[in-house]
Amino acid sequence: MDYTYPSVFFSYFLFFFFLAGGVFFFIRSIRDGYLGKNSEEAKYRMLEDEES
Amino acid sequence: MAQQDKTVQSAATKPGAAVHEDTTAKWFIISAVVYFLIVGIIAIVIAAKFVWPEMLGTVAMLSYGRLRPLHVNGMLFGWLLAADMGLTFYLVPRLCGVKLWSEKLGVATALLWNVIILGAVVSLLMGWNQGWEYAELPMPLDVLVVVAWIMFGINIFGTIATRKYQQMYVSLWYTMGTILWTAFVYLTGNFATLFTTGVNQANLNWMYVHNAVGLIFTPVGLALAYYFIPKAGNIPLYSHKLSMIGFWSLAFFYVWTGAHHMLHGPISQWLQTISIAFSLMLIMPVWSVVYNLFATMKGNWPRTRDNVPLKFLMSGVVFYLLTCFQGPMHSLRSVNAIVSKTDWIPGHAHMAVLGAFSFFAIAGTLYVIPRMFNVALHSDALANWSYWLFMVGGIGFFVTLWLGGFWQGWQWNNPSIPFIDTVKALKPIWIVRFFSGIFMFAGIVAFLYNIIATVVDSAGAKPEVQGA
Repeated sequence: MDYTYPSVFFSYFLFFFFLAGGVFFFIRSIRDGYLGKNSEEAKYRMLEDEES
Repeated sequence: MAQQDKTVQSAATKPGAAVHEDTTAKWFIISAVVYFLIVGIIAIVIAAKFVWPEMLGTVAMLSYGRLRPLHVNGMLFGWLLAADMGLTFYLVPRLCGVKLWSEKLGVATALLWNVIILGAVVSLLMGWNQGWEYAELPMPLDVLVVVAWIMFGINIFGTIATRKYQQMYVSLWYTMGTILWTAFVYLTGNFATLFTTGVNQANLNWMYVHNAVGLIFTPVGLALAYYFIPKAGNIPLYSHKLSMIGFWSLAFFYVWTGAHHMLHGPISQWLQTISIAFSLMLIMPVWSVVYNLFATMKGNWPRTRDNVPLKFLMSGVVFYLLTCFQGPMHSLRSVNAIVSKTDWIPGHAHMAVLGAFSFFAIAGTLYVIPRMFNVALHSDALANWSYWLFMVGGIGFFVTLWLGGFWQGWQWNNPSIPFIDTVKALKPIWIVRFFSGIFMFAGIVAFLYNIIATVVDSAGAKPEVQGA
């Protein structure tokens, strides 16, 4: 069997799947404050995380 | 030692803090360190075989063809990935402010991982080999790797889902990326290749090989660097926003670069050009990481003098920068025509996997073992010795192979030189490679002894240290 066409269509699907995922997470990251004025909070908090 | 005591004591339990058992992390890390030594012995043997090809006679199990895949798989999966998984089990619950989702599942994962590694030792020595670069393990072990990875993913995502804080530190993003990308990359390299033939199969295999480094060891290594550099130096990261830009650009660029291993081969020119373009664009994620970590250290470099984990970490960052400068340069058609398939490539690959990512894992191990076992590191001096042994051996190894590889490439490009003469010409290079390997192996021995002695010390630790 020739798998060329299934593999090409799979590649197109994968590309758009990742593109959609990228756009979704980019918008989500703006909403969650990763690019806003509180974006640096996490780096100070990690220095005080529990060590026990 | 005194400084180590202080760092251990500063790790005192805060009221209301989650108490981490770390059983899974201990299992993974201790077994990884032991495999580091065992596979290091294999590395020395195969380096010696370059110089003395008749060594160990004609015993099939001890032949170069059997030992080389054992060295590669043992270092990648037995040492590095196991250590990375153990360190991930340490840092994820702490960054999330909660306990690990399931220690029982974690210990089961560690046991299964050890079964896989021991199975790999037996099967590869017996010659049961799929015959694909980095994907040599036979199918039953591939299936077990997938099962172990699902168990690992459930535990890590389960912990992140129950986190205390909405906004996640960049190491958590890299950890999640590693889990998802590894699933995709591993399935492609070990299963999707079964359904293709010829050039398509080779293309998938190289996509896997390149992304085994780019989308497995790079993101988990950067998760460790972003965690342990601020922690070991007690310095806040320069910019969290920049670290996120680096993460997303790595996610976008890395997956397209595998075909640069097949330049001048029978694959389409457009595919070669795309892989070259994306390889060059890797400078964005790489420089965002390196700039961020260097800027973090601005004014704090003197701290590396007495802080061995920080010394390993920042040397790892320098090696990461160098290896990621080399990689895009190799993908240029003119440079590739010289260095491809030569000894340059193992020089480059060892700088990535040993110089950058193993240095991060060694630093993480030196940082977490005293904290998990509530005892000071057995010997700071020995840790410093292991650093310098790795450094001297590593630089000797990398530089010699780059020079030898270039020399070899020029000779191969001259059709008037018989191939066997190009092999004989490299003997001086391989002698230096062997002795550099001895230095690195001594570094492994010092590192292993220090870790095991620290664990043994913990049994008789003083109560005030244990309470720290």
